[in-house]
Amino acid sequence: MRSIRQRPGRFLATLLSAFLGAGIIMTFNSLHDTAGQPGVDPVSSETLSTAAGVVGGYGTLLVFFAIASTLTVNVRQRAAEMELLRCSGATPAQIKRMVVGEAVAVALVGAALAVGPAMLGGRALLAMFHDSGQVARSVEYSFGTVACLTGFGITLLAATGAAFLAVRRATAGGRRRRGRARTVWAYAALVAGAVAVSSTFAFSATDAALMAPPAQGAILLSVGCALRAPRLLSAVLDRLPLGGASGWLAVRNLRERAGQLAGILMSLIMFTAVATATLTMQAVESDAVAASGAVKSVDAKNLETLNVTVVGIIVVFVCVMLVNSLYAATSYREREFGQQRLAGATPGQVLGTVWAEGLVLTVTGVCFGTLAALAGIVPFTLVRTDRVLPGQMLPVWLAVVAVAAAVTLGTALATARRVLRTPAVRAVAPAA
Amino acid sequence: MLRTGPRRQQDPEPAAEALRLVKVTKTYGSADSAVTALDGVTLGLGHGTFTAVMGPSGSGKSTLLQCAAGLDRPDSGIVRVDGTELTGGGEAELTKFRRGRIGFVFQQYNLLETLTVAQNTVLPLKLAGRRVERRRVREVLTSLGLGDRLGHRPGQLSGGQRQRVAIARALVAEPRVIFADEPTGALDSRSARDVLGLLRQSVRVHGRTVVMVTHDPVAASYADTVLFLADGRLAGRLDAPTADAVAERLAHLGDDLPAGV
Ligand SMILES: Nc1ncnc2c1ncn2[C@@H]1O[C@H](COP(=O)(O)OP(=O)(O)OP(=O)(O)O)[C@@H](O)[C@H]1O
Ligand SMILES: [Mg+2]
Repeated sequence: MRSIRQRPGRFLATLLSAFLGAGIIMTFNSLHDTAGQPGVDPVSSETLSTAAGVVGGYGTLLVFFAIASTLTVNVRQRAAEMELLRCSGATPAQIKRMVVGEAVAVALVGAALAVGPAMLGGRALLAMFHDSGQVARSVEYSFGTVACLTGFGITLLAATGAAFLAVRRATAGGRRRRGRARTVWAYAALVAGAVAVSSTFAFSATDAALMAPPAQGAILLSVGCALRAPRLLSAVLDRLPLGGASGWLAVRNLRERAGQLAGILMSLIMFTAVATATLTMQAVESDAVAASGAVKSVDAKNLETLNVTVVGIIVVFVCVMLVNSLYAATSYREREFGQQRLAGATPGQVLGTVWAEGLVLTVTGVCFGTLAALAGIVPFTLVRTDRVLPGQMLPVWLAVVAVAAAVTLGTALATARRVLRTPAVRAVAPAA
Repeated sequence: MLRTGPRRQQDPEPAAEALRLVKVTKTYGSADSAVTALDGVTLGLGHGTFTAVMGPSGSGKSTLLQCAAGLDRPDSGIVRVDGTELTGGGEAELTKFRRGRIGFVFQQYNLLETLTVAQNTVLPLKLAGRRVERRRVREVLTSLGLGDRLGHRPGQLSGGQRQRVAIARALVAEPRVIFADEPTGALDSRSARDVLGLLRQSVRVHGRTVVMVTHDPVAASYADTVLFLADGRLAGRLDAPTADAVAERLAHLGDDLPAGV
């Protein structure tokens, strides 16, 4: 019964991320299909392609890592189950096939479910373009090969890749090599992020695609930071005073599980970075457009609404992914919480530990997310305006931090509370 | 051996029994699918006794231990540990009750994977907000043959070593009563002997009370008394048990079972 109750939840997390991720990719990339139809005037086509290229570009990157991190969290949780399978005679290759096969199946189902909503979303986006006057009313919506190929392709690639890497990590012993590969990837992501951010300077102030490189750079820098999670966490842990038995336990848990927390930290850093960067840049952009007075006021307003909507979708997506991975990671700790309770922890102390851990994660995520966001915002502002730091950043940043903290602590605590409802002796019973 | 623990002598000798159960009943499930795991169990165990609980699988041994240790709540009846009645409060209250009085050793160890041997051992003290005497912890772990494993994680230990850590964890908190549910169930006969010797030592030397569930007549022979359980009811007792006598009794336990029920 335990396994039945846990199973759908486990796949649900991956399914949800595949569904939302594929939905976002297909929504934006269907604009490519729409632009590519015969008979679309060049201006409309240009507008649609740019929107799809810019948002679709960093959106795709984001979705890729979001799905990958959820899946990594999920597969890692099943280490015990895989161990059991291995003990009952399954070869590593069989386990790999099973886990990767499941990931592919879930990704396919998620992407397939997302087709309908993506069509509706794309249609709604096109309607907004119509309203803002950037696309001719005569242009009809089309959902075609580009949307399908990218939607299914990226989702499958992220799911398969993450499952493959995670299962290899879970079934193979080689601890040191794993660590080195991780470091290499981390630096690769950081360098790629730096390059992307620097390439902002190659654009001119009024370039429509100006927002793309800094946004992509911020995402890549977030990924790089998250891969360095163990180091980052211990750096933060050394500086935070955490008292009491709960704090003591939290510090030890975090040190020991730092590697596993990379997935959650990635969501958190990415949320802080992407939300702060895109919302700030959008605010700077809107103000710059308004100041130049290039567009008539009604159209300017529509354009702003459109842009904010687009950025909003992305931000909400990252936020949902954050909740998703936190929920998945916390609900899996039923057994661990049970063991703490049997060792003499009151439910309050367990929640205290979860709270302390959430606090450390939030501080770490916000710190490095802010750094990644700044790396994207500063070049953008330098090119777009003449200032270094835009005044729009502070309120946006404060709001983002508030949401990040509320979501991280709220999800972790609410999930832990729910998990604690199972009696401790039942929680530690080996799953039948 | 004499009860010569210096620690013990400071305590006023409590008059009450270490453990008393009165008409304890526990039913799982509801209505037609209900299973009566404990059916009016009444028993009393004195201080400084070592008791083994035996019986067929599903006879309610684990349920008995969990109800007695405050890990589970009986549907009715009274549980008194060290003279204090287990209250019907919430989990937090029961946990606080358990901390000072009760140690529990599980078949599946239930050590925390993220903590080292030493940290696992002191965890109950930390959680109870009690002072941790590092020297004593080291002493206990060394006496259990784990002196050179203090920094290891449970994952790096053998089953026997893990169970010894679990026992150290129970001992360091100096509980009045130690419950052990099949503590040797996953161990080879040598590790099992070590573990049983430790439990017996904590009774003889430190005057603690140990209640142990086991399926192994040899393990049961380490105890002073064996209580037999069948279908949630006490079905006899054997003092000064030998392995053969226990095996003999177990074999006949099945005969006495009322058919069908
Ligand atoms: N959580 C539960 N839900 C429903 N029934 C339960 C639960 N726990 C135990 N039972 C039932 O209660 C009865 C007694 O179980 P218990 O675990 O106490 O047996 P046991 O004597 O410890 O058996 P074993 O020697 O196999 O460990 C069994 O019939 C079992 O099916
Ligand atoms: Mg049992």
